[in-house]
Amino acid sequence: MTEPQTLSFAPAGLDGTSVLARLRHALVTKNGGESPPLLPLGVAPVDDALGGGLEGGILHEIAAAREAEASAASGFALLLAARTAGPVVWIAEDMALYESGAPYGPGLDDLGLNPERFIMVAAPKSRDVLWAVEEALSCRGMGTVIGEIRQASLDLTATRRLSLAAGRRSAVALLVRSAPGRDASAAATRWIVKAVPSRAAKPRAMTLGPGPPRFALSLVRNRRGPPGSWVLEWNGVEQRFELVSAHRERVAQAAVDRSPPAASA
Amino acid sequence: MSVWLKQLSIDRLQRQAREAKPSVGDSTRPVSSRVSAPVVIAGKHGPVEVLVAVDAVAERLGLRPGLGLAQARAMHPGLTVLPEDRARDSHLLDEIADWCQRYTPLTGVEAPDGILLDITGCAHLFGGEPQLVDDLAERIAGLGFSARIAVASTIGAASGAARFSETRFVDTGRERDFLSVLPLAALRLPAETVMALARVGLKTIGDLIDLPRAPLTARFGGNLLRQLDRALGREFEPLMPRLPVAPYVAEQRFAEPIAREEDVLAVTERLAMQLKPLLEYRGEGARQFELALFRTDGRVHHVTVATSRPLRDAQDIRALFVERLTALADPLDPGFGFDVARLAVLRAEPRPPEQIDLASHADPGDLDRLVDRLSARFGARRVSRLLAHDQHLPELAATASPAQSTAGDALNWAAFRQFRFAVDLSPRPPRLLAKPEPIEAIAAVPDGPPVRFRWRRALHEVVAAEGPERIEGAWWTDEQGPTRDYFRVEDSTGCRFWLFRAGLYRATSAPSWFLHGLFA
Repeated sequence: MTEPQTLSFAPAGLDGTSVLARLRHALVTKNGGESPPLLPLGVAPVDDALGGGLEGGILHEIAAAREAEASAASGFALLLAARTAGPVVWIAEDMALYESGAPYGPGLDDLGLNPERFIMVAAPKSRDVLWAVEEALSCRGMGTVIGEIRQASLDLTATRRLSLAAGRRSAVALLVRSAPGRDASAAATRWIVKAVPSRAAKPRAMTLGPGPPRFALSLVRNRRGPPGSWVLEWNGVEQRFELVSAHRERVAQAAVDRSPPAASA
Repeated sequence: MSVWLKQLSIDRLQRQAREAKPSVGDSTRPVSSRVSAPVVIAGKHGPVEVLVAVDAVAERLGLRPGLGLAQARAMHPGLTVLPEDRARDSHLLDEIADWCQRYTPLTGVEAPDGILLDITGCAHLFGGEPQLVDDLAERIAGLGFSARIAVASTIGAASGAARFSETRFVDTGRERDFLSVLPLAALRLPAETVMALARVGLKTIGDLIDLPRAPLTARFGGNLLRQLDRALGREFEPLMPRLPVAPYVAEQRFAEPIAREEDVLAVTERLAMQLKPLLEYRGEGARQFELALFRTDGRVHHVTVATSRPLRDAQDIRALFVERLTALADPLDPGFGFDVARLAVLRAEPRPPEQIDLASHADPGDLDRLVDRLSARFGARRVSRLLAHDQHLPELAATASPAQSTAGDALNWAAFRQFRFAVDLSPRPPRLLAKPEPIEAIAAVPDGPPVRFRWRRALHEVVAAEGPERIEGAWWTDEQGPTRDYFRVEDSTGCRFWLFRAGLYRATSAPSWFLHGLFA
């Protein structure tokens, strides 16, 4: 499958797990057979693993591998948001805005995200972030809702609520965290983002300058397909991701992140 | 109508004392009879300290306001003297004026101890003027204030009647007869004018009315006759309301006070529904609401919400108040309950009637509604849109402004994009720190990029750098600091930063380095 599959139930060319995943999804989604809106990343192996693209109307978690890489995680989230249509609401707690800076219009524009679509909300506490994300998700015509949370642990109830709120509309809901969560989550996918030295960076190649940004993505949880790891590069000129390398083996974190049963959470 | 609080500061102190000792209770007894020692309040007027207020006990002892403090002490050594606090008195007066808004939206303050109410067209709501006056007198006494109330068709007559006579109602057309027996001080004249008039033998207003006007004006100034004309109704005197009068108001009184938040919200929605046809009739929508909740004990809560577009829908209005009430720093304290609720539109804007579009999926109103709700909860400054400006310094080139006030405004990004392509602007970071943070950097002189730098205690080894991009502040102001040389650098882990050196090597001996933004 080379093209992102945006229609449901295309029997030809799909392997068994993928069909099963789709059927299961069709059962759990409220509107039965109707396929959810998908947001393809434009990189075939990633879209394949996601079953066509990042699903709308459901929660996705994007965590930085470590605190220092929070800007890579938020950059990836903004790049995803740039690919949706409609307003983008960014909700962050004060501490996050202080630690890693507030969204800056010209920089968003560089990422292909029109600042006119952008609404920024500074919430005093992480609890307020969750509330505001839920509010924003229940708004019609929303493109992407991004909540940035620094708090280390989030309970299952919180992510479930967000997931349900996202399910009422078709907006892409992204939860950006400054460190990978060790807790159970109701998110459909969980990503761990790491910054990777860019192409041009050779030791002491000071004159060349940094190349286009690269992200090492680990899909540690994926409801609709297998997990995986890829290194993507953002091509700012053509406004698309390019695959640098792929490692389709399971990453170590997957074992940790497998959700325990809800009762024990 | 004029309300004269003749012992405002004494009443204030006694109310405070009562609040401090709630066990004393029994508020039906006259307040002053409990206080055994005479209490006076003294303040500096000119060079000497004089009494400015005396309580009932002191009054019986023959003490009067205006008496020198030393003289009073000599007469009664056991006197309790308290300092005057004009700021708190005037604050209290404002609060009482707010409370009086339960009778009419047009309430003004007549410093230092009076309140004016324009009750034209309001009296019938209480069953007539006498009933209104009785109601007010009873309630204000219940709050612990001794007040004298008078109603007249001019401000001057009402104010004079409240202070200088026992009359409660001055009939329209009979102001002249009534006023002529009152002393001249009733005209609200400066004390010097009253003294000067007394010296020439003019003591009552009646003495003045029939005198030739030109010599009076020549001698005592225009103010004297203007006050007289205003009191007599020959000249119109506007009442200056303390708070701006709202263009739309709906209110509800309750036989039984309400206290629960749900009830308050339900009432708010009902009031909003009453306002809707009025707003529709004039083709307007509200941009700012104020909900005033009158507590039975006299306190008034004001809750204000703003909207990003003219609003009429009761559901939306209620939703805003839900957020606002949840976000209140000190939760709404109903005390013994609220007995009047009033919803006022403080600011309205034209809003054309809209056609309902059945086909459209996402109406932009949804986003506005979200912005309003978030703003009501977190405060308008926390919900922002991004604006581009024609500026060079990065922190000035793009700013965040409250989304409520920028709804529908041009955000200038098209112009920014044109500029960016025209000058081939180097990339900007998607996240900018609120303030550039100082870093320790080692860099090649004179204008090389940093080789390594320390930010928030972590050492970063620079492996790739691009720059400098020189940005100068506006030359006509020094506020924007020295020239900055910006570098885009990448460290060994792949994190990218936007750094700058403030100042040039030849200009300063030790330029400082700052980290300003984070790239994806």
